[in-house]
Amino acid sequence: MMTRKYSGWFLPVLLLMAACLRLSAQEADSLPAREVVRSLMAGGGFANVLDTYLSPLEYTGEGACVLFENLRMTRLRGKPWLSQHQVQLDYSYTHNPSRSAYMHSGMVLYAYSLQRPFRLAPFLAGYVGPEAEVAAGVVYNRRNSNNPAQAKAFLSVGATARLAADCRVGRLPLRVGWQAHLPVVGIAFSPHYGESYYEMFSLGEGGWHNVVMTSFHNRPSLRQLLTLDIPIGRGVGRVGYLADFRQTRLHHLKYHSWTHSSLIGYVRHLRLLDARRQFSSHSPF
Amino acid sequence: MLLGACIRQDIAGNSPQANFETLWSIIDRQYCFLGYKYEQYGLDWDEVHERYARRVTDTMTWEQLFEVLSEMVAELRDGHVNLTSAMGTSQYREWFDAYPHNFSDSIQRIYLGKDYTVSSALTYRVLENNIGYIYVGSFNTGLGDGNLSQMLSLLAMCDGLIVDVRDNGGGELTNAQRMAARFTNEKVLVGYMCHKTGTGHDDFSRPGPVYIEPADGVRWQKPVVVLTNRRSYSATNDFVNSMRQFPLVTTLGDKTGGGSGLPFTSELPCGWGIRFSASPMFDPSMQQLEFGIDPDVKVDMTVEDMARGRDTMIERACEILKK
Repeated sequence: MMTRKYSGWFLPVLLLMAACLRLSAQEADSLPAREVVRSLMAGGGFANVLDTYLSPLEYTGEGACVLFENLRMTRLRGKPWLSQHQVQLDYSYTHNPSRSAYMHSGMVLYAYSLQRPFRLAPFLAGYVGPEAEVAAGVVYNRRNSNNPAQAKAFLSVGATARLAADCRVGRLPLRVGWQAHLPVVGIAFSPHYGESYYEMFSLGEGGWHNVVMTSFHNRPSLRQLLTLDIPIGRGVGRVGYLADFRQTRLHHLKYHSWTHSSLIGYVRHLRLLDARRQFSSHSPF
Repeated sequence: MLLGACIRQDIAGNSPQANFETLWSIIDRQYCFLGYKYEQYGLDWDEVHERYARRVTDTMTWEQLFEVLSEMVAELRDGHVNLTSAMGTSQYREWFDAYPHNFSDSIQRIYLGKDYTVSSALTYRVLENNIGYIYVGSFNTGLGDGNLSQMLSLLAMCDGLIVDVRDNGGGELTNAQRMAARFTNEKVLVGYMCHKTGTGHDDFSRPGPVYIEPADGVRWQKPVVVLTNRRSYSATNDFVNSMRQFPLVTTLGDKTGGGSGLPFTSELPCGWGIRFSASPMFDPSMQQLEFGIDPDVKVDMTVEDMARGRDTMIERACEILKK
């Protein structure tokens, strides 16, 4: 048996979420109300892909990733919330153990979350809240005949937790960030165990049986991002590490995509202008 | 419990035993005819495991392992099951090797002469007795609607049509169905298809109907004879099954080779590929087509005709169409 446990990965997330929820410390409205933080990162790393619709073997190889993020503070019922949009693009090119077959995998993910901020320490802010996520992609095996590809589509709601810590190295101010995304319940697309796409689409036999309810028992997945922001000139550079573990067990078909990516990018802090004030100041823009 | 374990597939290395077990397991879980073949000729896949496991040892060479595994999958008697390695591709050939060939391309060339048209996978001409003759050697090549309309327009003045699919080993189902759609004026139920829903030998979905709907372009309105032999296989088997549901169509020749399972591909830890039947197809009365379709008119090529450069099947088809 080669089965390995990784429940340890979830533990820090749960502890953090529990701690955040129990905290009655002061709220950390750390981001000014009219400020937007946008970041764009790109990078690559290691990928491990299994899809038993295509092969019983794990394929390993290289992956590339682009991650865009938009953060803004907002107020709901008088309380501050951090609004976050994330768009993630992934691609991996992997091979079987004997390198006699290759797979291309691609995924587009969009996530939106609202997070309650908490001040955990003078230098440390925590955020936790619900998140909605939609993702779609494909895994394509170049060698297969009537089962050459497997489509992926997920819609889920879950939880996200993040930490942001400010520190200094000498006179250089730094910000360390960590965020975990945990889908809890949702739906996913999956063919039946031996169902062909010819049957689903050419014969029109696809239907509701291809939509499956998901939760921890059949979709134990976790996405974690660790970042370090470094001021460079008048801007901010960002380096990061993304560990993305997506897994499903649907209709007796097993799937996992484990990627570890190193990322590099930049962060932009934007201040929103009040349009009414701009009109009154006779601005041409 | 909720957070569970890593989702992985149990593969115990790359030893001869691991490859044997993986192959046996792929067929055991995913092959779609184990129940049917148990009924037909007593195939017991557990017994096959017991018998072949004894032949797999740690010290055997890859060549020896390939030979043993090829023999094991040949127990399935399925032309759609192929083990592929750098050493070659295993094939079960009894479905055509054990029977008369019933086709000669050199005799066919006599009928085609020099004045014939080749368009995509179609080779056709008007025979001297005003019978149209179409040879479809494969459904692998794309069959365009334009090719089909042009061909049928050119043959429209013929008294009847011969569609020869002998030695056509199949290809894409959509090509076979696109061609069959030229021979009906109404939507016709031509069979059913289902798929496995689990790993058990009898875990199947409810069979879904398969229809042929009339094509938008030129459609044939006169009698048709479809010529078949044992090498009419896979998508061609499906084409013959569709055609025989139409009122103006007669099938003639030898039984088709069968191959009614839609093949999937998987692989072994050592990288060898395995193709196998994954989804069974049935005729409109839910009868299996895996072992072929009997023709309406059974005709074999005779030695005398072949010696005279005559194709017995084409001659018999012309007689039927001239009536």
